[in-house]
Amino acid sequence: MQKFSICFISFFVLFSFSMINIFFFSYFVMNNLVYILEWELISFSSMSIVMSILLDWMSLLFMMFVSLISSVVIFYSKSYMSSELNLNRFIILVLLFVFSMILLIISPNIISILLGWDGLGLVSYCLVIYYQNIKSYNAGMLTALSNRVGDVFILMVISWMMNYGSWNYFFYLDFMVNDYMMMMISVMIIMAAMTKSAQIPFSSWLPAAMAAPTPVSALVHSSTLVTAGVYLLIRFNSLLIDMFFFKVLLLLSGLTMFMAGISANYEFDLKKIIALSTLSQLGLMMSILSMGFPDLAFFHLLTHAMFKALLFMCAGVIIHMMNDIQDIRFMGGISNFIPLTCLCLNVSNMALCGIPFLAGFYSKDLILEMVSMSNLNFFIFLLYYVSTGLTMFYSFRLTMYLMINDFNLLSVYNLYDEDYVMLKSMFTLMMMSVLSGSMLMWSIFSYPYMIYLPLNIKLMVIYVSILGAFLGYLMSNMNIYSMNKYLKSYNLSSFLCLMWFMPNLSTYGLNFYFLNYGQLMLKNIDMGWSEFYSGQGLVLILKNYTVFYSFFQMNNNFKIYLFSFVLWVCFLMMFMMIYLNSL
Amino acid sequence: MANVPFLGLKTHSQKVCSLFKRTLRNLEAFYDRRNVYRYQAVLMRERFDKNAQVKDMRVATQLLKQGEEELFLQQHSIPRKFPLSPGGVAYERVVQSPDWVLDYWHPLEKAQYPEYFKRREERKKEFIAMWEKEYGKEEKKDQHH
Repeated sequence: MQKFSICFISFFVLFSFSMINIFFFSYFVMNNLVYILEWELISFSSMSIVMSILLDWMSLLFMMFVSLISSVVIFYSKSYMSSELNLNRFIILVLLFVFSMILLIISPNIISILLGWDGLGLVSYCLVIYYQNIKSYNAGMLTALSNRVGDVFILMVISWMMNYGSWNYFFYLDFMVNDYMMMMISVMIIMAAMTKSAQIPFSSWLPAAMAAPTPVSALVHSSTLVTAGVYLLIRFNSLLIDMFFFKVLLLLSGLTMFMAGISANYEFDLKKIIALSTLSQLGLMMSILSMGFPDLAFFHLLTHAMFKALLFMCAGVIIHMMNDIQDIRFMGGISNFIPLTCLCLNVSNMALCGIPFLAGFYSKDLILEMVSMSNLNFFIFLLYYVSTGLTMFYSFRLTMYLMINDFNLLSVYNLYDEDYVMLKSMFTLMMMSVLSGSMLMWSIFSYPYMIYLPLNIKLMVIYVSILGAFLGYLMSNMNIYSMNKYLKSYNLSSFLCLMWFMPNLSTYGLNFYFLNYGQLMLKNIDMGWSEFYSGQGLVLILKNYTVFYSFFQMNNNFKIYLFSFVLWVCFLMMFMMIYLNSL
Repeated sequence: MANVPFLGLKTHSQKVCSLFKRTLRNLEAFYDRRNVYRYQAVLMRERFDKNAQVKDMRVATQLLKQGEEELFLQQHSIPRKFPLSPGGVAYERVVQSPDWVLDYWHPLEKAQYPEYFKRREERKKEFIAMWEKEYGKEEKKDQHH
């Protein structure tokens, strides 16, 4: 019976689904097919509400990646969550998440996108508050409210799309480009994508969401949910090119990339470091998207999903082994004890840094070279290259803290890999994060990008990477050799450490006022005046009139009551006569 | 850390000890390698020891106030916390609902686990019997106001 636990069944189904998808993907991409299935639900006033499914190579490939990662994560959580009482609830939530994600992926229709989008928001809220302590509740509320902003933008897009009489945005993209009014839609779509992908004004929720269990972070907050915004923009891409707002997006996502890279260097929470690196990579995807290369963004999205899920799973093993300790200041030297996990961790870190011939290299290097080819100003160029260096910087710092330094928690200890379930799932992803880059490179680009650069610009990635690695090494040993640099530049350090104070701004600065206003409304309107006038007030009036009439009835005053009734009827007749006479 | 009441009902020496401990915790957050931390901790201990012989309470209180101020200004943005202590990541993560919650289940819910609840009722009766045998019966008059 143990063999057929809910984890194994879900793993099997999702894994088979991903294999089916990879088969269909290769068939579709070879024959250049696009299938659209439509089912008309209702049609009125020359508007038709259609449920539609779009199958092309992009959706099939993304579905394959989502279901592969989720199957592996579910397999992993059999061991990771084994001490959990509500394992079924957990697995069902993860499956609901996968379902919403797939609904989002396959729909070319803004209404069914809203269904998937809202489902993602709701399920991710439920998963963040899966552990029921105050930290999780706060993080969950921040996540839900930040994502809610995006949901509202999608709702506004739906109401604005009514102008076209159909919500299949897919057919209207080419018309919309020339229509000034329809530019509204693109602005709102960009805003929605920015909330889901945690770009700068909304980025505080992503590190906070690390209060969720680690398998959830691996699946939801690194590889799939946060890329939903990028995917939406990829789908809407032809609408968005040559828009002023896209340039704003380029700036914001570049800043996100930079900010997250810096903050990851100051962070000490293992999961938050990885979350910030996710944020940095999301910024990279968004910015290359806003420069007009949706296929590169999609490519990086897929490879990043693989190695980031793997990185989170390795972090989960380490956290499990250290009895829930996430602070890297307690860790060190673990590569002597869990060599296989550290192997996976190193591979994924290297892939993240873009070390040649791992997954990240193919996408990241291509992106950076396209950036060098484009006519961009120096600031954007600087943001890209500094962020690439920073990626190397925090990855090396993390590696040094975890693997090279001494173990810092106890003086007597024995650490070990607990079982092979987690290792098996990690090795699946490790193979993918080695192979997926080249595999995708060969299969999804129908023709190679022509890149022509001077030698030093071409090697710029290598230069910044080496510099970043060196700085990361220095930084992890900085405290030993000198006085504390953190204290010397305390204000700047805490500014960078706390993500430019963005979590504070989006909780105390923004959400606070709306929540306060909501409480005021609840008190004065919902539980106050509306109750007074509709619910309890009506009861009071009815009761008073009943008391008044029962005075006539109970005291045997029927005569007066009847008399007043007859008198009233007489008056009525009289007025009717007068009225009729006047006609 | 900083919100420990300064004018609490503690003696002066308790306050100084508390300040010293919080300072050490803060140093731990900054200097993560143990040998470096030990060096810094010794330096800090020396600063405390220098003022240990101050007899004038006005000066001592002033020094304590300065110490608290300095600690507040130099607190780490991400203090190092043990996961299961307050403020840590796994604090109160696993909820263990108290036993009496089971008594408030709906009869339909209880009917899903008939054997368990049958035995539970027996156990409760046994426990009450045991209790009454050991401590005597509950006095009835206490229940009235």
